[in-house]
Amino acid sequence: MIRTSLIAAVALSVMAGTAWAQTWTGGDDLPTSPLACDATPATAAAKPYDGAEPANVPDRKGKEITVVDVPKLIGIGYFNATSKGIADAAKELGNVSVKTDGPTKANIDEQITFIDNYITSGVDGILFAANDPVAIAPVLKKALSKGINVVGYDANSTPDARQWFVNQAEFNGIAKALVDNMAKEIGEDGAFAIVTSTFTTPNQARWIAEMAAYAEKCHPNMKWLETVEAQEDNVLSFNQASTLINKYGDELKGLFGMTSVATPASAEAVTQAGKCGEIAVVGLATPNAMKPYVEKDCVTSVVLWNPVDLGYAAMHVMRAVADGALKPGATSVTAGKLGELQVINGSEILLGAPFTFTKENIGGFDF
Amino acid sequence: MAVAGVLGRRSAASRLVEGYGQELVVLGAIAALLVIVGTVNPRFLGENNLISMFSGNAYIAVAAIGMSLVIISGHIDVSVGSLIGVLATIAGTLAVGDYPIWVAWTVPVLVGVVINTFVGALIAYFRIPSIVVTLGMLSILKGGLISYTAGTWITGMPPEFFIAQARLFGIPAPVYFMVVLTIAMALWMRYAALGRAIYAVGGNPEAARASGLYPERVCVAAFAMHGFFAGIAALLFATQLQVIQSTVPPNLELTVITASVIGGVSILGGTGTVIGSTLAAILFACISSALVFLNVSAYWLRAVLGLLILATVLADMARRRRHRAGRL
Amino acid sequence: MSRYLVRHETILAVLLVLALIVLSFQSDRFFTVDNLLNQGRLMAEVGLIALAMTFVIVSAGIDLSVGSILGLVAILLGVFWQNLGLPLPLAMVLGVVAGGLAGLFNGIIITRFRVPPLIATLATLALYRGLAEGISQARSVRGYPEWFFVLGQGEVLGVPTQVWIFLVCAAVAAVVLGLSTFGRATYAAGANAVAARFSGIPVDRTILLIYTASGLISGLAAVIFVSRVSTTRSDMGTGLELDVITAVVLGGTSIFGGRGTIIGTLLGLMLMQALKNGLALAGVKGDGTIVVIGLILIATIIISNLVRRETDG
Repeated sequence: MIRTSLIAAVALSVMAGTAWAQTWTGGDDLPTSPLACDATPATAAAKPYDGAEPANVPDRKGKEITVVDVPKLIGIGYFNATSKGIADAAKELGNVSVKTDGPTKANIDEQITFIDNYITSGVDGILFAANDPVAIAPVLKKALSKGINVVGYDANSTPDARQWFVNQAEFNGIAKALVDNMAKEIGEDGAFAIVTSTFTTPNQARWIAEMAAYAEKCHPNMKWLETVEAQEDNVLSFNQASTLINKYGDELKGLFGMTSVATPASAEAVTQAGKCGEIAVVGLATPNAMKPYVEKDCVTSVVLWNPVDLGYAAMHVMRAVADGALKPGATSVTAGKLGELQVINGSEILLGAPFTFTKENIGGFDF
Repeated sequence: MAVAGVLGRRSAASRLVEGYGQELVVLGAIAALLVIVGTVNPRFLGENNLISMFSGNAYIAVAAIGMSLVIISGHIDVSVGSLIGVLATIAGTLAVGDYPIWVAWTVPVLVGVVINTFVGALIAYFRIPSIVVTLGMLSILKGGLISYTAGTWITGMPPEFFIAQARLFGIPAPVYFMVVLTIAMALWMRYAALGRAIYAVGGNPEAARASGLYPERVCVAAFAMHGFFAGIAALLFATQLQVIQSTVPPNLELTVITASVIGGVSILGGTGTVIGSTLAAILFACISSALVFLNVSAYWLRAVLGLLILATVLADMARRRRHRAGRL
Repeated sequence: MSRYLVRHETILAVLLVLALIVLSFQSDRFFTVDNLLNQGRLMAEVGLIALAMTFVIVSAGIDLSVGSILGLVAILLGVFWQNLGLPLPLAMVLGVVAGGLAGLFNGIIITRFRVPPLIATLATLALYRGLAEGISQARSVRGYPEWFFVLGQGEVLGVPTQVWIFLVCAAVAAVVLGLSTFGRATYAAGANAVAARFSGIPVDRTILLIYTASGLISGLAAVIFVSRVSTTRSDMGTGLELDVITAVVLGGTSIFGGRGTIIGTLLGLMLMQALKNGLALAGVKGDGTIVVIGLILIATIIISNLVRRETDG
């Protein structure tokens, strides 16, 4: 009886689950805008400034300012790199004192509490990477109302809750780079699966949605097998990738890693399964974690922006906003050694096109 | 009862059910999963997937051995996930720091023993409930680890460091660790004086004291051994992949505790075996693999897992009740 | 026993006052009406659930599923309102009721099937979070009407709305636990369930009610939370249970049951929030703050135990 009930429970849940599986891609519901299949750059329609303005800002031009950086969470490699970039830029500018602080898990509630506490402590500027674009909005609006400059990076909030957002790369650009690289490696009719963090992580969900749209438009014969969740946990990512490899056998030709944790773990799963060269791994990752696999020819291309540059740009934008040098309607901003960065989508500053690391160039990066 | 004759004939079997009822339930669940999913997709029973399932969760099984000791002795440890994160980071740091490999392997285990001996002493001699001490330790270890590493990944360990990737007769090392440690501890718990004392103290500390045991010492010993197993688990965890994240593995403590209790270790202390907790850890690995194989939408994955845990627990309760009814 | 309770709470009160004094010297922005009220807003959800958790732990139970219930109710609130098209007030009520049902389900597993609370709620922790994820399909529900935000972002007579709600609930909880028959039944069930049964106390019904209340109040906290952050996500409230349990245990409630007060829980909550906020204002980073909270938790209980041993012996 025990066993029957157990089996019944398994069978029931499986049926329920499979019923849902059909409708699911792992993306979000927002409209997508896939790029052209060739290298034609997107022609973005000029959009008026849609960010917000802080109230009663004191004159901070050229003055020493205190800035706090609140990433999604602290204690992971990626945000460690962005905070390094922020600190580098602050040191270079010389008139900014900056501190990175945030929750130890990517949790909207704790992130809000952190920002709230820093508003009370009286900072001049807040840099943030949002865990949720809407949930963070009320507290950012509170910061703006107290005359604090607010600039986002990595993960946006709603535009009306911050002044500027430093965009590492446009979603459709990332999607194109990932899917094109995959198609090059596994062919136009290859089958692939995706390992992501969670379906609620806005950036990943957006990328997956854009990838689906772009693959449908430009690589219609590629087969999308499935997407699995693996948090930001490398052992779980490894286990999930191994299971996918075991499940699909020779059918599986490629794995996408959607986080800087999932990609090396997927590469490791392919390596330990002895499938190097048979299963391609393409994904977002930092070069240091990928070097062993790229050097062994197990992975040929890794897509990412430089997170140190992202933090660096964010700090420069913050300074420019505080100085009044970056005003609504501007079309570009100067960010130290990165030079001129373009303004897109009204109030976003584009770091550049996503960068593809290969065996030839990966040795030159250390982050 | 009318079935008395039948019961009499099957007394060996019923004794097995009596002694290892929960273990059999978990084993049955594993078997059912293997059969059902294997029928749907034979690749589930492929050599590679079986190896993945058995080795992937071996570190959880090893940690659950220690957790079972602690729970059987009447306590709990919610800090084990943070401890494993800290110990894995220590192992990695030593391995890249030009220390001999055996140092990188043994120091984390020793540190685990020292930290948990201290925790056990706080619990035993200051009479603080274990959940309070370990809640505190959870914060201290986690916060300390993050302040120290800021989450910088550890890479570039020498190749001979990766003990969990070694294979013998085609089977990965973690499986050997899991099997050997489980069997050794199961025998130890059954026959060694200290092993039996842990049951006695967990079942009824005052009665144990009256019969000449020292509950305080037994508690410290249980925690010290738990630290040892956490150290081994941390090693397996750290050497599975080429990078160590140097953060606290999310929700690991809940997984380890769940494995112990699903395996039949009573949260009230005094009963359970480490065989059950290891089987439960394997069951978890089978479930998460099966969910991918059966195309269960990942959105519903956790709900299915929760249902399965609930079903196992309720089945166990039903079994115990029937058993009790049978005895009356 | 009552002498012990007074002692633990006295120690805690002294600690709290000390912490407040030290922290106000560290930052002049700490001890201001504005900041303190704001902290009240931030701790309302944890605080509300901690009130119910005090009952749960006093009855020798534990409820690990509260964070998951919060997430589930948040998702259901959005689904009821947007997908089923119900009026928002009705959706709010139904959400809270759903929380109560989730709690009732916990209670049934615990009382009917005699599953230890830790295991029962460990299972429903996964189950409820899983339901939230499954139902939401990772979609958020946003765009609530302006009046809804009064609950989480608004003020009444200059005090955040949810602080009023919390104060009312705290007063009710203190009276019920301290003065009512139900409160006495809770203590009796926690101190010695068998003896309580023999003396005619409806132990099972008491426990069933406690877990239902825990679910209801988690549902209420969910509605306030959604109103505060103006969106729903299935990962809301993850890990909240540990914060809640820390506050309650810091407040002197014995994890073995039979002992604890609402006043103690309130003091524990305030001490925790004061440390989190005060240390942040004093320039200590988040990772340092959680270390301090861990140390204080252990130290408080040690001191309290030592003092108790001294007076006892």
